[in-house]
Amino acid sequence: MNGAVQQVVIVGGGTAGWLSACLIAARLPTLTVTLVEAADIPTIGVGEGTWPTMRQTLAMIGIPEPEFLRECDAAFKQGSRFDGWVDGSAGDSYLHPFTAPPPGDMRDLLAAWQANGPRQPFAAAMTAQHAVCAANLAPRQRAMPDYGGALNYGYHLDAAKFAALLARHATGRLGVRHVEARVTGVVADDRGGIAALELHNRAALPGDLFLDCSGQAAILIDGHCRSRWVDRSGESLNDRALAAQVPVAPDSPIAAQTIGTAHEAGWLWDIGLPGRRGIGCVYSSRFLSDDRADAILRDYVGQRVPGADPASLSPRRLTFATGHREHFWSGNCLAVGLSAGFIEPLEASAIVMIELSLKALAENFPRSRDSLPIHADRFNALFRYRWDRIVEFLKLHYLLSRRPEPYWQAQRAAGSIPPRLAECLALWREQPPSTWDFPQIDELFPAASHQYVLYGMGFPVPVPAVGSAAAGAAALRDVAGRARALSAALPDTRGYLDALAAAAPTRFPQHESIPS
Amino acid sequence: MSQHQILNPVDHGTLRVHTGPGAQYGDDTMACLTVPAEFRRVQAHFPIVFRRDLATGQFSALALFGFEPGENLFLEGEHWDAPYRPLAMSIQPFLVGRPGPGGGEGQVHIDMGHARVATGGEGTRLFDDEGRPTPHVEAIAEMLGDLDHAHREGVSFFAALERHDLLEPFSLEVALDDGSQHSLVGFHTIDEVRLAALAGPALQELHATGDLLRIHLAMASLSQFAGLVARRNARIRAR
Repeated sequence: MNGAVQQVVIVGGGTAGWLSACLIAARLPTLTVTLVEAADIPTIGVGEGTWPTMRQTLAMIGIPEPEFLRECDAAFKQGSRFDGWVDGSAGDSYLHPFTAPPPGDMRDLLAAWQANGPRQPFAAAMTAQHAVCAANLAPRQRAMPDYGGALNYGYHLDAAKFAALLARHATGRLGVRHVEARVTGVVADDRGGIAALELHNRAALPGDLFLDCSGQAAILIDGHCRSRWVDRSGESLNDRALAAQVPVAPDSPIAAQTIGTAHEAGWLWDIGLPGRRGIGCVYSSRFLSDDRADAILRDYVGQRVPGADPASLSPRRLTFATGHREHFWSGNCLAVGLSAGFIEPLEASAIVMIELSLKALAENFPRSRDSLPIHADRFNALFRYRWDRIVEFLKLHYLLSRRPEPYWQAQRAAGSIPPRLAECLALWREQPPSTWDFPQIDELFPAASHQYVLYGMGFPVPVPAVGSAAAGAAALRDVAGRARALSAALPDTRGYLDALAAAAPTRFPQHESIPS
Repeated sequence: MSQHQILNPVDHGTLRVHTGPGAQYGDDTMACLTVPAEFRRVQAHFPIVFRRDLATGQFSALALFGFEPGENLFLEGEHWDAPYRPLAMSIQPFLVGRPGPGGGEGQVHIDMGHARVATGGEGTRLFDDEGRPTPHVEAIAEMLGDLDHAHREGVSFFAALERHDLLEPFSLEVALDDGSQHSLVGFHTIDEVRLAALAGPALQELHATGDLLRIHLAMASLSQFAGLVARRNARIRAR
């Protein structure tokens, strides 16, 4: 058929590129998928936390969960814990878990939570996951079916190993063609789109649809399509990060959630894998020198990682611009991953945006060149909506802080607050966040996420009480009972992963042999 | 090897037990004890037969899962393919103990030699970090209480069966799809002719104690043999 979209060409071999290749090849097997990457371009490999959506993604592309866990040195992520964000005092900590509050009217649940007494953290009242995270337990037992759990969960993983696993899977099992070559130019078609890619020392690579997964280089969406960059650094102030990998003892506990710890001019991430912790310091260069950031990072490692030598670290410095494309989809080119946009990894939105982009593409795949503009307009509107929600949700974490440092005051300055967020906050003084505020399907941060952050940070519950404590009490009793049961029945994460590793030789004898 | 201990948070504070089904936990058994109090639930899924203990001469009731030792047709890997698991299986590796010979209040004992006692970090904990029993232990204690009560209640049921001579030896020849034959011997079932002949005070007594209902439940359970044969044939086909 003339004008059919049959050949998909992906530029870039990082997480975005290989994940896109796997998803398109698995979901649309009649297409031809080619991934081109230059061997000499290193991947950024920052995104080491996924959302629960990754379980469905991996199941869909056909990677068994034990294989994924082993190959990527992965562990379970059940949410994010925020330490020191409210006022920095001892004990200032709250959890944003992946498991939603029990079904029912949040106004009733809030009333029942308040009636329980003031000391219980909101997340502990709303989900058993709070107790499970506190005890470093896994969200599932090994006997459970792949990708199923007693609680909602995603993963912490080694991003380089993840991209390598996806690459092997894409080329070995899903029939994706892999071309190692540097893209040196673009052959334009007669509509201003892309007809083919010029490659270094190779014949040009033609295609019908091109995915730009080239990261910050954005060689197609910026280099060819000239899609405008929408700067969001006025709302999201951080622009630098120092990233380190800290080895841990083989028997050390593995945290069940990402830990984000506030510091004087930003925050630190702490992501626990079986063999190492990824720890990084995010900051605003306007408020913090690189040297001071380095000292904050080393100080954290010295205090929080038993046995680590902070002096031996050589952190990698990353500079980033916060923002996104005005048009993610332009002509027959779609930007996925860092080429589409970047924001600090406070809620690990990078990988899930790749998954959501591919979901939108695969479920609305253009069958002809003629429908491309319609799909592009829809996609651009949807992802502009999503970027706005991400910017607002991350901002919420700062707005509710009472920290006094100049950086934190700047984060709360009126001019930096998105108007829709300010409006929502005014409403949330009268009613809790609900689907009325977040009506889209696949909202990145549904009402539950906002509730966990709001009430985790001490945002006042609407007064006078608008719900019935009696109506919510039964649900909260169920949560408490489930917390007890799960605390007893779930293995700790270290034990789970050790058992998984020990089980490997008997399950896959062809992969390993033990010399006698 | 059995190794019974009184369950307590000092010795068993961090102990875990495997609660799921599995051959590795000893579930690969063709039958388990059942008590008259659970006949209603058991008869809906398993044949109930009776066996005389050669040492004590006492009768007991069994729920049947298979046709030969080690065969459990309801065990599918780590899945129990029936809506009900008899109490005697559910309580493993726990049992009712007595503080001394002659009785006293029942205690929760654990058989530390049982395959369900976990050695790694997986399985369900029995006590939380504060030493309080977990919901699993609470549920076990309740089941053990039920089972203990049912055992004592069962004594009069089996005595009534003997008094009225209501049990007859039973043998079953099972022809399977692959042409093989199995014979099930050594068990007893209700003698329906003798039951039908009962009248007057005897019938009234069995009715008043509730034993008549249990007898009928046991009789009804024999229709589950057809399901058991079908399961066995399905396994032969799958091989």
